[in-house]
Amino acid sequence: MLARLKLATWLPILLVIIFLIIQVFPIVWVVSASLQTPEALARGPSNRLIPDSLYFGNYVRAFETSPLLHYLLNSTIIAVLTIGLTILLAAPAAYAIEKLRFGGSRVVLNYFLLGLMIPVFVALLPIFQSLGFLGIRNSYWAVVLPQVGFQLPVAIYLYTSFFRGIPNELLEAASIDGAGVFRTFWSVAVPLSINATITIVVYNFIFIWNEFVFANTFLTSDALKTLPVGLNDFVSDMGRRDYGATYAAIVVSVLPTIALYLFLNRRIIDSMTAGAVRG
Amino acid sequence: MRKNQLLGTPSWAGWLFVAPALIMFTAVVIIPIAWSFYLSLGAWNGLSKWRFTGGVNYLNMLDDTVFRQALVNNVFFSLVGSLIQLVIGMTMAVSLISIAKFRNIVRVAYFLPAVISSVAISQIFVQLLSADPEGFINGMLRSMGLGENTQPFLSNTSLTLLIVTTVDAYKFCAIYMAIFYSALVSLDQDVLAAAEMDGANRLQQLFLIRLPLIWATIAASVVLVVSGTLRGFDIPFVMTGGGPGTSSELVSTYMYKTLFRQSNFGYGSAIAIFLVIECLLIVAIIRKAFSATEKTG
Repeated sequence: MLARLKLATWLPILLVIIFLIIQVFPIVWVVSASLQTPEALARGPSNRLIPDSLYFGNYVRAFETSPLLHYLLNSTIIAVLTIGLTILLAAPAAYAIEKLRFGGSRVVLNYFLLGLMIPVFVALLPIFQSLGFLGIRNSYWAVVLPQVGFQLPVAIYLYTSFFRGIPNELLEAASIDGAGVFRTFWSVAVPLSINATITIVVYNFIFIWNEFVFANTFLTSDALKTLPVGLNDFVSDMGRRDYGATYAAIVVSVLPTIALYLFLNRRIIDSMTAGAVRG
Repeated sequence: MRKNQLLGTPSWAGWLFVAPALIMFTAVVIIPIAWSFYLSLGAWNGLSKWRFTGGVNYLNMLDDTVFRQALVNNVFFSLVGSLIQLVIGMTMAVSLISIAKFRNIVRVAYFLPAVISSVAISQIFVQLLSADPEGFINGMLRSMGLGENTQPFLSNTSLTLLIVTTVDAYKFCAIYMAIFYSALVSLDQDVLAAAEMDGANRLQQLFLIRLPLIWATIAASVVLVVSGTLRGFDIPFVMTGGGPGTSSELVSTYMYKTLFRQSNFGYGSAIAIFLVIECLLIVAIIRKAFSATEKTG
């Protein structure tokens, strides 16, 4: 009977199981390693997949010996500022491009979309210099402003495709009722686009939380470092001495995105693919 | 054009709405390109005065063995990385649509590496591949009786490029899985049912019907994956820093070091401009190739 089961039936199941193991293995491994005592870790890697005890001392040491809490706070502040500013700039811009259709709005859209093709590296030195010139290197703005600039194209792209779906009649009804351009945008278009806004917020959050290049280049002061940069320094600093704390720090850094992902998994997958596929 | 415009909206209102975004985007993305180009035409280390040298920086790239090595590495990184992401992404998507249950939870689990930071992924793999203390992979090799293969993997210059390429592809392949999966599940079931009635087996259905039907999605993904790998930076930078030697150096990591470690601003800017042109050019070529196949095919 078993032999008669068709290849077409069990091959996909086998593949799915193999891929599942590969995709979750690194996270499972690091979580499990972070929960083991230094003595167990010293015995070698073989028993690291299933911790023999739940030991939280690594986490205590990670928080005590490094400004991990501070990094968490910095990452949060930077994410909030960046997302807020991106939405504040992108929503009206996309609304104007898609609904107000002023002369040249197509050109403006294509100009923004050009940004999707530009690698961030080309802007590093000029931004580094201008931040110094403006005296805001080593402030939250030093990563917020560059990130907003580079996030705008995707946000505007997603907002324009969303606004396209809102019928003009709805907005015109508001303006016939006497609402001005700003009023129509603020009290009709913005509430309608809440779904698009959540998608953009979620997409941006994952991206900004994980961002490394800008933060590593523009923030040299220890007090301002974000989690990815802090983690990188922590590992090169502590990694050779305290492996347990290193694993714990890695887990702490990925926990916020994973927690968000557990709640909003479908939306995150959809927004990341929508943000990725822009034709 | 006119008929889409909302009733009675003055043109200045539109410009007012886009102006803040336009200014921000221009200041952060567009002006720096011009600025970098200007810097690339001179010699400057941040202390002395900027001195115009013309195209010397670009000519120097031709003779720079490290740059040439980085370029060769980058070709490998982009080509192999793109291939892994597309093939694995597609295999994941196809196997997912072939199972009846648990599709959503499997998809969510597949996607996990894509939401984790490159730094965390890199650090995890550095630990897994480590030799002192013995990391998981070396431990596995030893307990499987393959002890002669245990080694400090990230010190082996003939493996580092392959390792950073694979880890980078590993992080991003689930994005292509998700793209292909949603394209595959949105296919018209009638077409597939008709094919099945005509006696097409699973493999024939896949290669003769499903894949041709999602060809536009595949083409868009190729553009996406190639332009993504051309900008690869985080994972090689964190895992190996481009080393040992130049064994895993990419154009982007070399540019970063030239700018921020050697303070060679003119030459670094020239490499940055090279990267932009390379990205734009290769994406344009791929697009052209795909639109050509669409016309003939």
